[in-house]
Amino acid sequence: MEFLVCVKQVPDDSVEIHLNPETGTPDLSQADPEAGAFDTYAEELAVRFIEENGGSVTVVSAGTDDNKTCLKNSLAVGAGAAYLIADEGTDCLDSAQVADLLAAAAPKIEEQEGKKFDVILCGKESTDAIGGQVGALLAEKMNLPLVENAVEIKSTDSGISVKQETDTGFMMYEVSTPAVVTISKPDYDPRYPTIRSKMAARKAKIPTLTLSDLGISDLASEAAVSSLGFAEPKTRQAGIKINESEPEEAVKKAMDQMIADKAL
Amino acid sequence: MAYIISDEGKDLLKDVHDFCENEVKEQSKEFDLSGEWPQNIYDMAAEMQLGTLDVPEEFGGPGLSRIDHAAILEEMAKADAGFATSFMTNGLSLHPIEFGGTKEQLKSVYDVILKGGFGAFCLTEPNAGCDVSNGSTTAVKDGDDYIINGTKCFITNGPVADFFTVFAKTDKSAGAKGMSAFLIFKGTPGLSIGSHENKMGIRLSQTSDVILEDVRVPASAMLGKEGDGFKIAMKTLDIARTWCGIVAVGLAQRAIDEAASYVRTRVQFGKPLGRNEVIQFKLADMQMATEAARQLCAYSLTLMDRGEDYTVASATAKCKAGDAAMYCTTEAVQILGGYGFSRDYPVEKLMRDAKIFQLFEGTNEIQRLVVGRSVVGKC
Repeated sequence: MEFLVCVKQVPDDSVEIHLNPETGTPDLSQADPEAGAFDTYAEELAVRFIEENGGSVTVVSAGTDDNKTCLKNSLAVGAGAAYLIADEGTDCLDSAQVADLLAAAAPKIEEQEGKKFDVILCGKESTDAIGGQVGALLAEKMNLPLVENAVEIKSTDSGISVKQETDTGFMMYEVSTPAVVTISKPDYDPRYPTIRSKMAARKAKIPTLTLSDLGISDLASEAAVSSLGFAEPKTRQAGIKINESEPEEAVKKAMDQMIADKAL
Repeated sequence: MAYIISDEGKDLLKDVHDFCENEVKEQSKEFDLSGEWPQNIYDMAAEMQLGTLDVPEEFGGPGLSRIDHAAILEEMAKADAGFATSFMTNGLSLHPIEFGGTKEQLKSVYDVILKGGFGAFCLTEPNAGCDVSNGSTTAVKDGDDYIINGTKCFITNGPVADFFTVFAKTDKSAGAKGMSAFLIFKGTPGLSIGSHENKMGIRLSQTSDVILEDVRVPASAMLGKEGDGFKIAMKTLDIARTWCGIVAVGLAQRAIDEAASYVRTRVQFGKPLGRNEVIQFKLADMQMATEAARQLCAYSLTLMDRGEDYTVASATAKCKAGDAAMYCTTEAVQILGGYGFSRDYPVEKLMRDAKIFQLFEGTNEIQRLVVGRSVVGKC
């Protein structure tokens, strides 16, 4: 089975991020870039699959040259090849643009790698913008079947079976390939890179696909979403103290307050 | 401040940091209490190839610089000093073979290490601690073989080792010059593991007696030639002391980190403890002692890189790092007050872990002897 895993580079989500008061944008200086958590689950799922059944895992990311860091990390944990989509204007993309780029890149990568992808995996959502749209948009643009929030993929005679996580349990799908699948958190964690795999990945050359390579002439005009600004979550207000000495009075005051606040 | 390491080292360090934070730091509490060997943690570490840093590139190791290796070992020690000690001891057990072994012997032990195995350095005996040459383990020539008898004690990695570098007297009358070194593999008849030490600290590392009863080894198991043992042991300790210091520095740094994190949030008299100068001064002294020790380790590693004599630098680094670990962990307990004394908080374990770093691989009194003699010279 040949996998293409789409990876987004995001800021380390274990670091608390605040807005830079001067620029009004998130200050990411303390948050190292890394692959989105669900993208790492997608890669781990694919790598486990090929370790058991054979095949290959290729990763692709759209962004800037900076994304090579997370692509190299992907190479260190089992991907056989990595591609970067980067050009003027690819530093700030909306979901539809990312899907366009990935849809154009997939056949190009197939050409270069000399193989056809059976399954294209995306994390179900990124850990920064949390749009959760790229997988669905990509399937639509490539005219491929889509299953979202998957935690397991098995091969069948006619394609793959996919276990989807739902709010109430699991749903099983039989899907023909090629297909797009978005990945939720399976019951395992991504592996750590080994010392050697990390050192080898650092030396790996990662090919860059430009807009002209992908046959896209004008990226900017395709932006459907633009950011108007950023705001921090409101800081929590101090609570109301109820200091009545008699329990009855305290309860009455608490009830009155909750009714006034429409909490009841 | 820290070691000045390569970009590659920084990249690896981040992975090791993540691994240690997620898989070692919290988990170590359970094994500190039980004293059991955390096989699962060591298996994961082996999978990540953390033990391979001691193996040179030509034998299949990653080929990292000493300073990059040091930064990674420090990171492991920050999570748990016993965990780091098990790996540090691999280096200790490999050096005798690096100094006296053949290429075949080296390859055989490096292969063990590359597969995630462990080695043990068997020098200390009940009546031969600092007084190394007073050992009573003997190796008697018998045809083309040697027959080894004796008991080694306080052997780090003893119960888990795949190979043992054993020091024994081939000539009892010749004192230090009568000592020889041997490479013996696990499973050799007559070699067995004795009682486990129930230690005060570094309880994620295993320590035991190693008993040798009529252990027959071919003469080719000898490292170097007859009588080289003492020299090999001393050269080994010279190099290993720096690595011991590096682990101690990691432990000291952890104590600083824990104390600093506590004083930022602990409020007394209406303000965080950290706003009191008396606390800031304590942390400043801890930081300065630790950084000084770290740079002494780095200096000793640089001398090794340059092929210059590092005996005194290594003893200095180990002594100052061991003292820094004991000092910083004790101060961390003091800063946390009653909570520092509680097993529910992390620093009492650090204090227990620290003491050994003033004791093993030469007590700090021995280190002072090495340094003192170098200062005074012949008189």
